[in-house]
Amino acid sequence: MSAPQSPLIHLIDDDEAVRASLALLIGTVGLRVQTWGDPQAFLHGFDREGIGAIVLDVRMPGISGLTVLDTLVAQGVDQPVILLTGHGTVEMCRRAFKSGATEFLEKPVDDELLLEALQNAVRAHVRSRERHQANRQAQTLYAQLSEREREVLGLIVEGLTNKEIGRALGVSPRTVETHRANLFAKLQVDSLAHLIRHYAVLVAPNATP
Amino acid sequence: MLSVFRTHAPRLLLACLLVLLGCVQLARLELAQLREAFEVDARISHRLLSQRAVQHEAVLATLALLQPTATAASHDATAQRLPAVYPQILGVQRREPGAPWPSATLQAAEDRSRQTRQAVLANPEFGAQRGRFQLVQAAQPASYALLIDMHAAVPWSDWSMPVQTSPVRVTLEHGSQAFVVQEGRLAEGGWRFAFRKTLASDSQPFDVVAQRQVGWAELPWGAMLLWALAVLAAMLAWGAWQRQRSARLRAEALLRVGQVARLNSLGVLAAGMAHELNQPLTAILANTQAAKRLLQEGPDELASAQGAMDQAVAQARRAAEVVARLRRSVEQPNPSERLQSLDLAQAVRTALQLLEPECTRHQVALTLRAPQAVLVLAERVAVEQIVHNLVTNALQALELVPVAQRQLSVAVEAAQGQGVLRVLDSGPGIAPEALPHVFAPFFTTRAGGLGLGLSLCETLANEMGGQLQVHSHAPHGAEFVLQLPLARAPEDTP
Repeated sequence: MSAPQSPLIHLIDDDEAVRASLALLIGTVGLRVQTWGDPQAFLHGFDREGIGAIVLDVRMPGISGLTVLDTLVAQGVDQPVILLTGHGTVEMCRRAFKSGATEFLEKPVDDELLLEALQNAVRAHVRSRERHQANRQAQTLYAQLSEREREVLGLIVEGLTNKEIGRALGVSPRTVETHRANLFAKLQVDSLAHLIRHYAVLVAPNATP
Repeated sequence: MLSVFRTHAPRLLLACLLVLLGCVQLARLELAQLREAFEVDARISHRLLSQRAVQHEAVLATLALLQPTATAASHDATAQRLPAVYPQILGVQRREPGAPWPSATLQAAEDRSRQTRQAVLANPEFGAQRGRFQLVQAAQPASYALLIDMHAAVPWSDWSMPVQTSPVRVTLEHGSQAFVVQEGRLAEGGWRFAFRKTLASDSQPFDVVAQRQVGWAELPWGAMLLWALAVLAAMLAWGAWQRQRSARLRAEALLRVGQVARLNSLGVLAAGMAHELNQPLTAILANTQAAKRLLQEGPDELASAQGAMDQAVAQARRAAEVVARLRRSVEQPNPSERLQSLDLAQAVRTALQLLEPECTRHQVALTLRAPQAVLVLAERVAVEQIVHNLVTNALQALELVPVAQRQLSVAVEAAQGQGVLRVLDSGPGIAPEALPHVFAPFFTTRAGGLGLGLSLCETLANEMGGQLQVHSHAPHGAEFVLQLPLARAPEDTP
């Protein structure tokens, strides 16, 4: 588990006054804000690994916010994106959600609306990152199991007892008991419930050839 | 020149084809008529001449049968009386039993007559001027012969053609000899009708030959000319109608384009304005809300809250500056330069002309009262635009009442130093609560209406130093009154 990171909001708007005021407002709920006046500089410079969210103005000189959104999605950036627009049309709104925007807010934006949207977005991002990380860890541990141990794990997940597993694999229940202890140790789990919750997903595709 | 020909070539070709076909048809009809008349005349001639031939046989047969007298003296009397009754009979000859005929041909004819028991032809002498022959009848005891002159035999009183002037040539032919009954005129060229039929008499087997030459001059040239002129006139009228129609369509399109352009620029303006104002408004809102939150957190954040409020004030000033800039850019630099002296009545007529099809489509009775020219100082396009919008509005209002009640009256007059245009409709009128807003932008009572037409009209009227007013006679009709300043010095030239 990595050290918990304080979430960072990236705020992109070409208008200095809007940037400053929105940064101040977002700061009042304890979120860190990094402001960007130039969308290109943001695309080149922002930290893709960090936890947080992106607030993007639609109407900017040179490059549209929707284009920036498309670029982010194409690059696989997983931070949620909140779009701000001065005069949103239904068509623009539809396009934004289709492109993967989390929220679409109209300027001038109410503080409650913006802050709630940001907090929801940050929470969602943290959860998604955690899930992602847990999955990665589970995969690493699962890779250390022997062939026989994976077979035993698959049958455990299916709900068979030690005796039934021994019969299915043609070994004694005692041997099954040994494998079972080994794989519990290797996967760093201490209960059957824990095992099923984290590893059932990994087993399922392999169990049925 | 060439291009003119190219664009008009199809029409010219069509016209030529029509003229050609029409003329051919006219000529054919005329020729058919002439042929019909000719054949009728020819058959009449044949019948008349046949009757005469039969008459000759009858006279001769009567003589032979009755043998009127035995003496030479009484024969002479008969010989003199017959030509008096029948002018074509020039002489009567009688061969006494045992006596010879004066010529061998008569003798031969009598021999043949005796065999066939019929009258027999002898000594035919047919020439251009002369048409004589003898007819011999063998009988007992004496035989008779008649000398007949064909010229006198023709029954001129019953003749169907004017013999001196008729173009039909009629001849009697016997072998290679031909006697001209009627001269006629046979010119060269053109069309020839011909008729040939043998006389219905065995003793006088002459051919009646009729000929008629129709020359080019006899074709119905007058009718053809009239037809060509008619086609030409129709083509010209069609062309004129098309030109007029396309001109009207073009003018309508221009007017529409003008309106759309104005609305488009308005739309662009609105979008720009929204963005320009939204930025400072966003900043103001964010700053004041942040300041509120900071103040809630306690005295430590007082300085930050004050900074946020300063920012909000600055941004409010910025918004005010945007509005001022916008107003300056929308103002016309000098609208009076575009104004010219023009006849309001004429401008109204032009605009109404464009709307004529619309009025017809809506089944609206439109009356225009513009007894005299009213010279106002205005912009022509703007005036036409105003009239167009006012009348279009009225037509839309009139859709709401039955056809019989649809009245639209437009009047132009000069009153109190102003040129006045009144557009009065018999529609449902304007509700009292809507009346104060009719000139406000984006106000409309119509589903799908933009609410900019009347607003635009009022703006245009004001720009020209005039004004637009509305009076509602609800529930029956609304009246729009446009007032424009009169031109100071009326120009002499129209």
